[in-house]
Amino acid sequence: MSSTISAQPSPGAGVADASRAPRVGKRDVWLVFWIVPAFYTAFGVIFFALARVMPPPRPDVTVDQMAHFLHAHSVTIKIGFGVLVLIVGGAGVATGIVVYHMKRMTVGSVMAYAYLGSMSVGALPGCLLVAFCFLTAVYRPDRDPQLLALLYDLGLLSYVGSLGCFSTAYFAFAVAILYDRNQIFPKWLAYVSVWQIVTEIMAVPVFVSKAGPFAWNGSISFWMGTVIFCFWLGCVIVFLKKANELQPVDEPPLD
Amino acid sequence: MTATAARTTTYAWIVLSAITIVSWWLAPGHTRGAAAAASVPITVVVVLLALIKGRIIIRYFMEVRTAPPWLKLFTDVWLTIFWAGVLAIYLY
Amino acid sequence: MTNTEETVADVESTHTPGDGHMWVMVLGDLIIFGGYFIIFMVYRAMNPQEFLTSQQHLNINIGVLNTLVLLVSSWFIARSVQAARAGDPASALRLTYLGGLCGVAFILIKAYEWSTEIVAGYTISSNDFFMFYYMLTGVHLFHVSLGVLILGITVRELRNPRRRRVFMVEAGATYWHMVDLLWIVIFALLYVMR
Repeated sequence: MSSTISAQPSPGAGVADASRAPRVGKRDVWLVFWIVPAFYTAFGVIFFALARVMPPPRPDVTVDQMAHFLHAHSVTIKIGFGVLVLIVGGAGVATGIVVYHMKRMTVGSVMAYAYLGSMSVGALPGCLLVAFCFLTAVYRPDRDPQLLALLYDLGLLSYVGSLGCFSTAYFAFAVAILYDRNQIFPKWLAYVSVWQIVTEIMAVPVFVSKAGPFAWNGSISFWMGTVIFCFWLGCVIVFLKKANELQPVDEPPLD
Repeated sequence: MTATAARTTTYAWIVLSAITIVSWWLAPGHTRGAAAAASVPITVVVVLLALIKGRIIIRYFMEVRTAPPWLKLFTDVWLTIFWAGVLAIYLY
Repeated sequence: MTNTEETVADVESTHTPGDGHMWVMVLGDLIIFGGYFIIFMVYRAMNPQEFLTSQQHLNINIGVLNTLVLLVSSWFIARSVQAARAGDPASALRLTYLGGLCGVAFILIKAYEWSTEIVAGYTISSNDFFMFYYMLTGVHLFHVSLGVLILGITVRELRNPRRRRVFMVEAGATYWHMVDLLWIVIFALLYVMR
């Protein structure tokens, strides 16, 4: 019983022999790649500095306090989320380039499409809904505080609680990486994606918790989830770059 | 080698199961009707036992015993920091 | 390279079971769960009486049973790795099945335990302790389920005479032992310590 790794030749996908191929990649793919870190930087500035939902304001406050939060940040919310609805296509592009490289894997396109579908659907509750809720809330300065509170809750619950779509995407990503023989991404990135699923599970109680570690601003449901997400995103960006570099310039276009 | 390895694994399992039975006896619901009270000595024992169990699983089942030194160090450090942290918070 | 702990039988150089990548999963998971457990301890310290009283409503017998079930499963899996190394895929396969069966038993016992708690009125919203109880045992249960899936992959590996790569069996086993290890911590923190 020898512990040989049976490296079977990969049909058609043109795996780069890393020791020989120059680290060049395709120009159009590079253009798309740089959109990814650019978008997520803008995303961070918007969600953290402008809209002030990262970290989210507390769920255990009064209606007046919720209204006060929205009024206090009204200008930056309009600027931040106004820009977001313009550039949110960047999320789609980020998904697209991951899908592009997933299609170069030996597992075929099924997992790529599962990733594409789940991430695309997830973008609505995951970042757009909070944008629209907050933009609507600050649109009319004399809005009834009870309605403001409703928009506050709806926005933040959807932002922190949008779990299932992303979990599915992470699962498809992990499975694809683990079965891929072209080594497009390193195997351990699949396990980081599994951690992402764990953080989504740990965010489930946001719908019943108003304070503490499992509230939408909690140390477990929000903070640990965000830290691990940032790590995952960083890894994905680094390995997208590597996948680009190692892709042979003359690789035939994908189907 | 296989016979020795099998025996070592089995001994590890026996020790782990024995410690578990002891923990059962230490648990709150087991004071025969009396309401459980906080108990520092029992908790310290529980933490030490859990640390020992964890180390046995890591060293014998996960085979870190024959793993590179960095892995031995990492797992020992994790065990120590984690349980020390638990005790520190408990005793604070 | 200093090999300070040499067993009687083997004087070979050090060996990392699996393929390295699984250790990223295991060590990372230990850190992440470490975070969750420490946060649990902080909240426990803020409300020790509530946590102590709530803990009484857990069924320690089921906790012990589940612990023993996982320990037995780990024994099966450790032995299956040894069988795979010794060139005995039939034994390795049988032991993997047994380990996986224990995993399924764990899940069923846990489901039963949860149902008795819920029927007795202790739900996830009952208080902080119970929220931690359901979330920690729940995410652990997710790991057990994933583990059963991974053992299924090990089975597939062992059944195929053209594969039977030892590092695959080792990697699956490493994950499974991690699941066991995490439960040991949960058992100590939720069920036993006071």
